Amino acid sequence: MNAIAKDVQAATQPPSLELVSEVQQFYYREARLKDRQDYRAWLALLTDDIHYWMPARVQRYRRDERPPSRLDSAYYNDSMRELDKRITRLETDTCWTEDPATRTAHLVHNVEVEHTENADEYRVHSISQVYRNMNEDEEHTLYCLREDLLRRVDGQLRVARRLLTLQQNIFMNKSLNVFP
Amino acid sequence: MKPHEHAQPPQDYSRYMDLKEGWVDRRIFWDEAIYERELEAIFARCWQFVAHDSQVPNAGDFVTTYIGEDGVIVSRHTDGEVYVYLNACTHRGNKICFADEGNARRFTCNYHGWAYSTAGELLGLPSEHAYDPGDIDRTQWGPRKARVASYKGMIFATFDPEAPSLDDYLGDYRWYLDAFLDNDEGGIEFLPGTIKSYANANWKFGVENFIGDAYHAWWTHDAGGRAMMGGPFPPYDPSDTFQASVNGHGWEFALEGVGDIAILGSQEVIDYYTAQRPKMAQRIGELRARLFGSLASAAMFPNMTFLPGIHTFRTWLPRGPRKLELRIWTVVPKNAPESVKQAINIGCNLTFNPAGTLEMDDGENWEGNTRTNRGWVSRHEKLHYGCGKSRQIEHPELPGIVHEGQFNDANQRLFYQRWADLMNAKSWSEVPQRYTPRYAGRPTR
Repeated sequence: MNAIAKDVQAATQPPSLELVSEVQQFYYREARLKDRQDYRAWLALLTDDIHYWMPARVQRYRRDERPPSRLDSAYYNDSMRELDKRITRLETDTCWTEDPATRTAHLVHNVEVEHTENADEYRVHSISQVYRNMNEDEEHTLYCLREDLLRRVDGQLRVARRLLTLQQNIFMNKSLNVFP
Repeated sequence: MKPHEHAQPPQDYSRYMDLKEGWVDRRIFWDEAIYERELEAIFARCWQFVAHDSQVPNAGDFVTTYIGEDGVIVSRHTDGEVYVYLNACTHRGNKICFADEGNARRFTCNYHGWAYSTAGELLGLPSEHAYDPGDIDRTQWGPRKARVASYKGMIFATFDPEAPSLDDYLGDYRWYLDAFLDNDEGGIEFLPGTIKSYANANWKFGVENFIGDAYHAWWTHDAGGRAMMGGPFPPYDPSDTFQASVNGHGWEFALEGVGDIAILGSQEVIDYYTAQRPKMAQRIGELRARLFGSLASAAMFPNMTFLPGIHTFRTWLPRGPRKLELRIWTVVPKNAPESVKQAINIGCNLTFNPAGTLEMDDGENWEGNTRTNRGWVSRHEKLHYGCGKSRQIEHPELPGIVHEGQFNDANQRLFYQRWADLMNAKSWSEVPQRYTPRYAGRPTR
């Protein structure tokens, strides 16, 4: 079992079909904005207090597993300030590795919505799949277990917290230039 | 033949370079036979970083890593010592430990259950009554152990019994290391978690980049630099910048004191080091207190590299001539407040890992450097390493072979000099000393 995702709980109250559909549509829009590389519009889908976190993955024996801490090395350990810097890099005219552009397909699977004690917040489990095609013919597919806290702000869903558990022990590519 | 009984070098490796003219032959980044000789003449011989004390503080703590392509277990035994030994069972050769890190009382092979202590001794065999007296002497059948030594918390190992002491191997490079490892009485510690990634690149491209390639930063990292600092790198000014090389190790640096720290993008970290600076100068001298934190990069021969002010350490594990595994750690001053450690962690990871705003642009280059050698014609071409050939100086304070000007191929040339010296040598006694030590047999702080 995955150490990060151990706290999966059965929802006390099942989500309505409308809510599940709304969350799915939200995720598809998010995926489309990333595939179109409209990153400013994507950032607008995150709350100002976002924590976007993908800790380092370390292979340990089952008896010896430990959850990651915020002080662990991490691919992403970002607030809006850090995410903004990443997007700023892409907006310069000198980001050579993204010109020609990387081709991506972001997919979101196994969406499971749970109510929380706060009526405006939902916990959502999903699997993020990102296919990348770079340069002449390089292919890389990434799977992450994803645990989100979605918050309703002025009636609209936003991502307030995202925990990504990379399902590769060694990240099998030279760069992680996508937001799973 | 035992690993330390070296074969006659298959060929003269000096023909792959002319460092006076300033070029290197591209075949050393591609050829399988050259790579096999590297495993023997470099990775089975040199001291290599395996862990930091803070990663294995308690008895039973272990990490697994590689010396060349030889998997090793690095574990702290109940006697308090760290042991390094092959991660391979002496019965049928299976890997013994499949975890990256953790705590264990012993390691047991999955195949037949042979069990090894955290000091690398064969402890026991299941159904031992199947063996008659005289079939096995357990004391003789532990996995091959490496020599282990440490410098200010950094643990190194080598499988070569003839290798010089770690202090001699590091030589006057210790003087530079102190600027990072010993600028505060608490020293450094590694934060938890290892970032591991692959790149389809020759391992030497990663190392030579850190050992002496400030030149690329202004171009490759223009976008990342603008994002992190709000503007481009300041125009290159060679004055008061240097490259220093010792035994193939290298450090290129400015002396403004804050250039690399600024890339972390945290005012809290800048303020922390500004306040530390006078204490630091008392401890390691005014020059080294300015060296730490400046725009700089550094590498230890053969494959451990770091950015002192950005607080990243990494090893470049060879995976054949065309692939490498990179392992990355964030390093912090042990005595810094928790909030400073976290600010360093966030800034270090934001810039220098496979997702980092600066590092993302490096991997592409090194894969390109490697892949174009697929072409038979390309592979037989030369690469230019001639920048700064006439800029060697004697410096009153800086030890090693010193060149003026941070944009310079000097450290890279001297890295390949050391590479050729080792590749050509039948044993350590044939490896020439290419600099005059100032601190032989003496501490550097």
